[in-house]
Amino acid sequence: MQQIRVLIAKPGLDGHDRGALVIAQGLRDQGMEVIYTGLRQTPEQIVDTAIQEDVACIGLSSLSGAHMELFPEVVRLLRERQADDILVIGGGVIPEEDIPVLKSHGIAMVFTPGTRIEDVASFIRSHVKLRDLTDLPPVEPVAKQVDHIGIAVRSIAEALPFYTRHLGLTVERDELIPDQRVRAVFVRAGDLHLELLEPTAPDSPIAQFLEKRGPGLHHVAYRVDDIDAALDALKQAGVRLIDERPRPGGLGKRIAFIHPKEAHGVLTEYCQRTGEAAE
Amino acid sequence: MAELEERARAWEDRVERALAKRPERKEKFVNGSDIPIRRLYTPRDGVVSEEDYIEKLGFPGEFPYTRGIQPTMYRGRFWTMRQYAGFGSAEQTNQRFRYLLEQGQTGLSTAFDLPTQIGYDADHPMARGEVGKVGVSISSLLDMQTLLKDIPLDRVSTSMTINAPASVLLAMYLVVAEQQGVRWDQVSGTVQNDILKEYAARGTYIFPPKPSMRLITDIFEFCSKEVPNWNTISISGYHIREAGSTAVQEVAFTLANAIAYVQAAIDRGLVVDEFAPRLSFFFNAHNDFFEEIAKFRAARRMWAKIMRERFGAKNPRSLQLRFHTQTAGSTLTAQQPDNNVVRVTVQAMAAILGGTQSLHTNARDEALALPTEDSARLALRTQQILAYESGLTDTIDPLGGSYYVESLTDAIEAAAWKYIDYIDELGGAVAAIEQGYVQQEIRRAAYDTQMAIERGEQVVVGVNRFTVDQEKPPEILRVDPAIGRVQAERLAKLRAERAEGPVREALVELRRAAESTDNLMPKIIQAVRVFATLGEICDTLRGVFGEYRPAVF
Repeated sequence: MQQIRVLIAKPGLDGHDRGALVIAQGLRDQGMEVIYTGLRQTPEQIVDTAIQEDVACIGLSSLSGAHMELFPEVVRLLRERQADDILVIGGGVIPEEDIPVLKSHGIAMVFTPGTRIEDVASFIRSHVKLRDLTDLPPVEPVAKQVDHIGIAVRSIAEALPFYTRHLGLTVERDELIPDQRVRAVFVRAGDLHLELLEPTAPDSPIAQFLEKRGPGLHHVAYRVDDIDAALDALKQAGVRLIDERPRPGGLGKRIAFIHPKEAHGVLTEYCQRTGEAAE
Repeated sequence: MAELEERARAWEDRVERALAKRPERKEKFVNGSDIPIRRLYTPRDGVVSEEDYIEKLGFPGEFPYTRGIQPTMYRGRFWTMRQYAGFGSAEQTNQRFRYLLEQGQTGLSTAFDLPTQIGYDADHPMARGEVGKVGVSISSLLDMQTLLKDIPLDRVSTSMTINAPASVLLAMYLVVAEQQGVRWDQVSGTVQNDILKEYAARGTYIFPPKPSMRLITDIFEFCSKEVPNWNTISISGYHIREAGSTAVQEVAFTLANAIAYVQAAIDRGLVVDEFAPRLSFFFNAHNDFFEEIAKFRAARRMWAKIMRERFGAKNPRSLQLRFHTQTAGSTLTAQQPDNNVVRVTVQAMAAILGGTQSLHTNARDEALALPTEDSARLALRTQQILAYESGLTDTIDPLGGSYYVESLTDAIEAAAWKYIDYIDELGGAVAAIEQGYVQQEIRRAAYDTQMAIERGEQVVVGVNRFTVDQEKPPEILRVDPAIGRVQAERLAKLRAERAEGPVREALVELRRAAESTDNLMPKIIQAVRVFATLGEICDTLRGVFGEYRPAVF
């Protein structure tokens, strides 16, 4: 079996490293390879070291009360650098009520004083193993969030009242996209939009979709920061694309479709917000 | 003695026979310092003769001070009840200080946040998330004025847990005293100012060892002339112990560090009996009651010998090991936090029976967060009950002459000398720390303790035995997360409103002095006076001294 590499790190200015050192030694005794950062590491330094050393797990230790700012920052930076396949755990003087908040920020587990090293080790083993089952790290750049969900309808006039009347959502924009020969109505649902799509011409892709499959879920669109770079990365990785170049979508976005086979049956769109849409 | 020997042997025979039927709880009884503990101590152990008594114990207030440094000890006056406090802004800490004084506390002890301790202003990028968390945030004289508002500095003594930038915080304190109309020879207090244990155990260093030692001796020299009642250093075993050392290592490494400071001051040309009376110590009061009491007694005896024999000190005050004690934070548990009150009580009793000069009792919620006001009061009450109700204080060194305690005192002393001799061989404390020797010894002891707990050999009530499933989370103190922003704004305002010319001038003067061998204290005081910030002063010194980068051992 492959030896698990762990980075034990002290973010912030805290000098209490007894726990960190004991855990480091204990995990070594449990057969892991452990790197210790030493004191006073910024989240950036910790993430750099973790990536350089290709660790599977980062253990963060803080006893100074700075955990709520520093632990999530480490996870955020890992995401930014597409290294969030690294398991992040934490420990130190951490009040009970902070633990669920830290977990919601991606810290997989928080170990408070009194934890046995064996329990830490077994947690790492089981969770690092899970990681092996997941796909390769996502290619550059990652989808930032779901931007909208496209729904193909025969008639917007008929479909829309369900969303407005029963779900209580509001229409944000109604526009014609000549390029696609569709009318698109954008309904806001929290952070994302539902994009109701009605064909405006018989040769519209939506018309073809309706003919083949009937009305229903058409595509899921992910927001990216740089769509050109995103498409290039997919191309290089051999992912089949419908659109090799971005084209104009609704709400002034630049969009491109990825072949539905790649997402196991879901038509997937990348979109980048431009000035008009970003406001 | 002959009859005693005979009867003791007969008793041992009987016990051996009884053991065959019913063995003891453990095969071997050994304390945390690896000192074997016998079944019974008798006049055959420890102090046996009159000569022994005179040589090893003597009388309170007399060499070798084993029984205490004052002739009346707590019959004259109790120890100073000094609770370590500080969090958030200077206003908040000032309020907690005044509350504690109203509650009968007799001295102040200031906890600074980590940016302050490492010489960063509150708006420095490295300060992110740390401002006001483990102590009060002090970036300039303005903050210090607020912290000490309405506290009479001629009557209250203040201890400041500050090390690398000790000169700067001391300078701020002195300027505030002056503004209150209190003369420097009227103020009393302590700066921790002990950098060696920062490298070895606590972690809030800034500069490399050499310039750090110079800053420390600058304070020694300055205070011996200008601030005669100030304790210029608090040589601390506390953090060494918290980092995991044994009781013996705590004494040994602390005294080894003390030797290094005294030597540095002598090398600087100071006269031992002029600065040594202002050296003070800081120890941990841990769980093993008798071992701790013996540790304090051994430390006193060793220091007296070191000062007299090694450094030729003559002033009795140079020979007296005065110390502050804090109960052991690392023994407190997050589980069933009320249990901690009991632990703290036992530890505080050890400190009192060990003859401490001042005491901090930890709050029960320390393993969870900073103490709430209720917890802080209960911790203080613990001391008051011991002082006023328990009778511990009515005679001096009540355990002196205990066969066990005397024997343990000897054993700790002997084991500690071995470490000190070895550190001398390595070239002294600075060299031993630079080589990682001290850190490794502490680390090994910490790991051994953890393993003993995990194997269940060492019981921690509520953690690996006698646990409960569901615990209701106690109320804890939260530091307002806005404090970082508030402090940053306050700094921005200060920088906008102060006169820049004098600041620049003072910092240039400071840089020049740092490049020379002049005493830095007067320059730092001048910089503080014109509202140069802590960060600006420390950055100026960083520019000359560089920063310490530890090797990761």
